[in-house]
Amino acid sequence: MAETLFILLIFPGIAFQLVSSWLFEWLDRKFQALFQRRVGPRWFQPLADMLKLFSKEDILPLGTNEFAAAVLPLTSIAAVLTAGIYVPIAGFSPASFEGDLIVILFLLSFPTFTYYLAGIISMGVYNDLGAGRALLQFFSYEVPLLLALSGPALMAGSWSIQGIASAQLEMGPFVLFQPLGFILAVVGLIGKLKRDPLDIPKAKSEVIAGSLTEFTGVKLAFWNMVVNIQAVVGIFLLVNLYFGWSDIAAPALAISVFFLESILMMVVLSTASAVFARLRIDQLAGFGWRVLVPLALVQLLAVILIGA
Amino acid sequence: MEKTNIPIGPQHPLLKEPLRLNIEIDGEQVLGSYLRLGYVHRGIEKLAQTRNYNQNIPLIERVCGICSYVHTTTYCRAVEELLGLEVPERAQYIRALMCELERVHSHLLWLGILAKHIGLDMIFMHTWNDRELILDIMEALSGGRIAHAVNQIGGVRFDLKAEHAEMIEDAVKKLNQEYHQLDEILENEPTLRGRTQGVAPISTEEAKRYCVVGPVARASGVDVDMRRDDPMPPYDKLDFQVITHADGDAWARTYVRLQEIRQSLHICDQIIDSISEGPTSVRARRKVPPGEVVMRSEAPRGEVFYYLRSDGSEYPARLKIRTPTLPVLGILPKQLSEIHVADIPVVLAGVDLCVACADR
Repeated sequence: MAETLFILLIFPGIAFQLVSSWLFEWLDRKFQALFQRRVGPRWFQPLADMLKLFSKEDILPLGTNEFAAAVLPLTSIAAVLTAGIYVPIAGFSPASFEGDLIVILFLLSFPTFTYYLAGIISMGVYNDLGAGRALLQFFSYEVPLLLALSGPALMAGSWSIQGIASAQLEMGPFVLFQPLGFILAVVGLIGKLKRDPLDIPKAKSEVIAGSLTEFTGVKLAFWNMVVNIQAVVGIFLLVNLYFGWSDIAAPALAISVFFLESILMMVVLSTASAVFARLRIDQLAGFGWRVLVPLALVQLLAVILIGA
Repeated sequence: MEKTNIPIGPQHPLLKEPLRLNIEIDGEQVLGSYLRLGYVHRGIEKLAQTRNYNQNIPLIERVCGICSYVHTTTYCRAVEELLGLEVPERAQYIRALMCELERVHSHLLWLGILAKHIGLDMIFMHTWNDRELILDIMEALSGGRIAHAVNQIGGVRFDLKAEHAEMIEDAVKKLNQEYHQLDEILENEPTLRGRTQGVAPISTEEAKRYCVVGPVARASGVDVDMRRDDPMPPYDKLDFQVITHADGDAWARTYVRLQEIRQSLHICDQIIDSISEGPTSVRARRKVPPGEVVMRSEAPRGEVFYYLRSDGSEYPARLKIRTPTLPVLGILPKQLSEIHVADIPVVLAGVDLCVACADR
């Protein structure tokens, strides 16, 4: 009982994921600041931002479904936190089972649908536009992402993340065998997190803040938390699937290698944000189906042929 | 999806100045737009009739928040023409220098805004950082970053010292390096090209029909530049190219403005090299003889047009200002149709609106 509570609340549950989400948000902002010749925020800024949002008045436009507006951020945060528990951290995975990769991919997609609903229920034109864009974007990146992520699973012959990660201890990091798949997965992750350059559903100059335009205060803080935890879980997932970790027998080494790889992933995401302009939604749909999907199929075919 | 109206402005992250656009959309497609102006109308033209010619200079400076210097210069030149004053050569050079510095900082500001609108915050931060170089020089020269209040009828109130010349030469060197980087990004960045190329092009005929001026016209292949066509001295003695491009889309406008930055830097270098010693101003009478005059200058956004009528008193009888944004507002509804919603920021940034100028 106490062990279960520890797993749920402390590690790798709520506390660990919140702290690492702040850490990675801070790293992201710091990296982007370096690209832009700025100093960047101090380490406690993400926490301070969240606390400030908590203290803000919570208002919604007249006609909004208040119950749904309160439930949507909570369910999405529950989904991403649950996903976080199943992702192994440097080989520590308390709840691993065969097929958890598929469960996690579903749980990570869950916020996209709640994001869409949040746009529909709150009154306003920008919300509608942002919500529609979120779904369109989902259909563009999700298929190549799923195809790419099945590459490591097929190669390791296991659909559990733990199994895929430990397979790399013998075979070497999968990023070496599937560089194309790794790039596709990163693009998919950027799309999933709605990060620049794929921040089409919340492009400030076009649709203000997309679905979340009318959200304030605590609810907005929860939405931000969803995205930040989603980012951390996504990064940990990709690190598990494509890099693996060093020997679990030496925990200190395993943990430092794992976090170094995760920070490296964050650098990749920040760099992509800094150097690319935002795509248009039709450009993204074309790019997704004409470029990413064929490439993902090629990668998958290569994995299957080599495996056979 | 049925037709929806999305309001843009008067307050919107896209706009730095108040302007109202009602845009009719169908899904992601823009069908048409309705424009409303006048949120920053200050009645400057009427106000100018109640102040004397000297008091009008700080007022005219407030027509525009970016290119304030070219407005006062044009106004002073108009009054000087009525008075029949010959401005000292050194003052002419200093005025041209300030105008060119202003063009560089205006274009850098514009490039940053375009980049920010399409999600390239890095370029935004870099260009605005470079712009600070120019603003620092302007502050050292005149005491003001944007509003300088240093023009006077008959010349300028400040002088170019050796340390200023050094500052400018350093900045030109630095900006030329930055310029090469930006040029490379513009040529090679696929996402930047993807977002700007082919977006809402203006053909040469359209540009002429709507009387579009400045970089927007030049990007549509209209070879027009007041610095060459109706030069104020000393532009007739300076060597520079008028940049044009045939495409007329947002990318061409970016290209033209970037090339103009380099031309302006080149002009600054020439002015520093060839400026002669001498007085910077001559005394002007308070009363202006009756008559009327038209004066045109090339502002960063294109031709500014001043019409001034005097009735022989200390106060202007009529002052009419036409700013380069005005014809652009005419073509805007046409630009904002049959495009994607995501192209709205590119179109609005591409034509470089200065709403305060247009409203006056």
